[in-house]
Amino acid sequence: MTLSELKPGESGRIIHVFSNNLRKRIIDMGLTNGTVVKVKKLAPLGDPIEILVRGYFLTLRKSEARTIEIERIGVQTV
Amino acid sequence: MTHRIALVGNPNSGKTTLFNGLTGSNQSVGNWPGVTIEKKVGKLKNQNFEADIVDLPGVYSLSSLSLEEEVTTKYVLSKSMDLIINIVDASNMERNLFLTHQLLDSTIPMVIALNCMDIAKTKFQGINIPKLEALLGVPIVPITASKKHGLMDLIRVLEVTSYEPRIPQKRYSDQIETTISEFQSILEDRLVATRFFEDGFKADKLSLIDDSTKIKLQESLEHAKKQYLLDFDMVLPNERYNLILTICDQVLTRNEVEIESTTDKIDKILTHRILGLPLFLGIMFLVFYLSFGPIGTFITDGFVWLIESFFSFVASGIESAGMAAWVSSLVVNGIFGGLAAVLGFLPQLTILFLFLSILEDSGYMARAAFIMDRVLRRFGLSGKSFIPMLIGFGCSVPAMAATRTLDKSEDRKITTMIIPFISCGAKAPIYGIIAGAIFASHSYLVVFSMYIIGIVVAILSAILFKKTILKGASANYLMELPEYRMPTAKNTFLHTWERVKGFLIKAGTILLGAFIVIWFLSYFGFVDGTFRLLSYEELEFSLLGMLGKALLPIFSPIGFTDWQATVAILTGFVAKESVVGTLGILYGVAGDVLESGALLYPALQAAFTPLQAYAFMIFALLTSPCIAAIAAMKKELGSWKWLIFALFYEITVAYIVALLVYQLGLLGIGALLTAIVFIVVIFIVYSTIRRIIKSKGSTCSSCSGCGIEGSCDKIDKNK
Repeated sequence: MTLSELKPGESGRIIHVFSNNLRKRIIDMGLTNGTVVKVKKLAPLGDPIEILVRGYFLTLRKSEARTIEIERIGVQTV
Repeated sequence: MTHRIALVGNPNSGKTTLFNGLTGSNQSVGNWPGVTIEKKVGKLKNQNFEADIVDLPGVYSLSSLSLEEEVTTKYVLSKSMDLIINIVDASNMERNLFLTHQLLDSTIPMVIALNCMDIAKTKFQGINIPKLEALLGVPIVPITASKKHGLMDLIRVLEVTSYEPRIPQKRYSDQIETTISEFQSILEDRLVATRFFEDGFKADKLSLIDDSTKIKLQESLEHAKKQYLLDFDMVLPNERYNLILTICDQVLTRNEVEIESTTDKIDKILTHRILGLPLFLGIMFLVFYLSFGPIGTFITDGFVWLIESFFSFVASGIESAGMAAWVSSLVVNGIFGGLAAVLGFLPQLTILFLFLSILEDSGYMARAAFIMDRVLRRFGLSGKSFIPMLIGFGCSVPAMAATRTLDKSEDRKITTMIIPFISCGAKAPIYGIIAGAIFASHSYLVVFSMYIIGIVVAILSAILFKKTILKGASANYLMELPEYRMPTAKNTFLHTWERVKGFLIKAGTILLGAFIVIWFLSYFGFVDGTFRLLSYEELEFSLLGMLGKALLPIFSPIGFTDWQATVAILTGFVAKESVVGTLGILYGVAGDVLESGALLYPALQAAFTPLQAYAFMIFALLTSPCIAAIAAMKKELGSWKWLIFALFYEITVAYIVALLVYQLGLLGIGALLTAIVFIVVIFIVYSTIRRIIKSKGSTCSSCSGCGIEGSCDKIDKNK
């Protein structure tokens, strides 16, 4: 599954970042393989999404989130 | 000897605050990533130590995406500094240390300033700084730049530390170190070798190498690639982040329970799924209502009264001193007439600037980009374009400079070309005074409609550009949301003052000059074949009057019935503030003002019907920006061709829109005004509802027309 499919409050572990315009930047900002990310929320219009990664808040579009393959881990509520 | 010291760190990590602390200057500091867009140099002076401090745009990594980031990466790779102060945000250490690790691969001496210790202390139970120092092998100084804590310690370290080239530690796994040394044997420098490892031939500096080296590198790269299971460009970043995790585990004592931060609590409301958008629109409306509504007007009235009293006092002094007629005409009609109209607007502008500063400093600007991205994407822009556009409400010049934070050149071009449609602070006096005179109690609604029209035209233009001349522009969006900060009184004041100062300096220099020129052109002319100073009744015969009359036929289809309006618009090319000032001079208001105190209102009421006033304001809003903005535009667009195109486009659009409004308005005045506001509101509500419904309807909201219902799994797997 991909990062775009996680619901707010759910977490996942990154398996791979597939190629997209921002791949290098996404990796440099800490979304490397094995990293745990948690979806905080969706923007009011449903996109972009806000995630918690490495202790900070990052926002990215679903189009990029769709290129980040993850596995879901333990479901939490916000 | 003077050392050259560069500040390098992540965006929004406090570089500019530290720069101000070290050099005693007052650069503006915001709370969104990308405040610093060019390098700035300041002096640090102590009894026995002197250094040039260079403030650079923030970067997350040395692989630059945007133009402003390139400034930093080029500077670092050029090694033209004696030492780097790497600013690390202690409250966000994991990500910040990534850049640190890239920098550690260079031979440039380095000191780490561990910033935001105050916030970090609430996030973590403890940070073992000696341990971190030992692990990274460079001096570390804990500071809180915003409170000026630790700056003396930092300066002391700068005094005693070594400025000799550092020998970079080999910190990575043996396999990676072997690859690096292979590259390094060709490229010589370890930093360049690691850059090549990450970015391949795209890396900076690598365009300079000769062909034989390139072939050797290519072979070496092919060989290295075979040895890793992982994608080659991910190898080094992965390794660095693994290293960082090990370091953080040893250095940080984390809190046992995750505490909900203040930022979390605020964001629960401000970026709320349903409340977020209305709150955003509400905040924007409130800012304009407070600036231009009853409160702003009340303060303005008081201020205008003060200016008038002062000017009439001086004017009576001049008259009683018995100077030459032209001198008293210059002072009273030329200088005072123009300045009174412009300065009268200062209070409203100050309030607007004050709110923009608070929005910036608190961190809400970044949320605005987050909220607006979905909308702006439609027009080929990114949420990040929203920040330059918002600054555009203050002044186009810094707004255009801020487009450099955007990643792609098409993006920057589109944003730069539509910024002039955003109603800047200098255009506000035009609406403020004309709407105040003509539309009285509804004036703030009329003013608000100007802002909306500006935004709508900007958006439609963006779509047009994207569909025609800049095809394929699709902006990227990836943005950090900074923690909310309480804007400090000092910073807010500084920020506001900086902008007000810009306005005042303009009023005192360019505008004053413009007023004098306009006064000369309007109070001198040929009467019965002689060139002389004219009286108020003879203004029609002035040089400017002649020009205005000559151009009037062009402007009459859009509702300009007298040459004064035409001339006022022309002077707007010098500076938008002078439009109102010119009206003041041309309607001979200065004299009246000084005696009756009724400013421009009666003259305007006599000169404009509501429809004409509205068309006038629209033309003033949409036409070519002022000289200063044109210069900024040239800089950002990069060529005369684009600049001329942009200006031609803007003037044409202004003419067409004003023409439509005026001609249609002649068919029904009141109905038209209502219709415009109505259409705009419908447009906003419609697109909002549509998006909300769409995004709730399926998870497929952001791809357009794939034809597959439900999730986008199927397509992704096909890729």
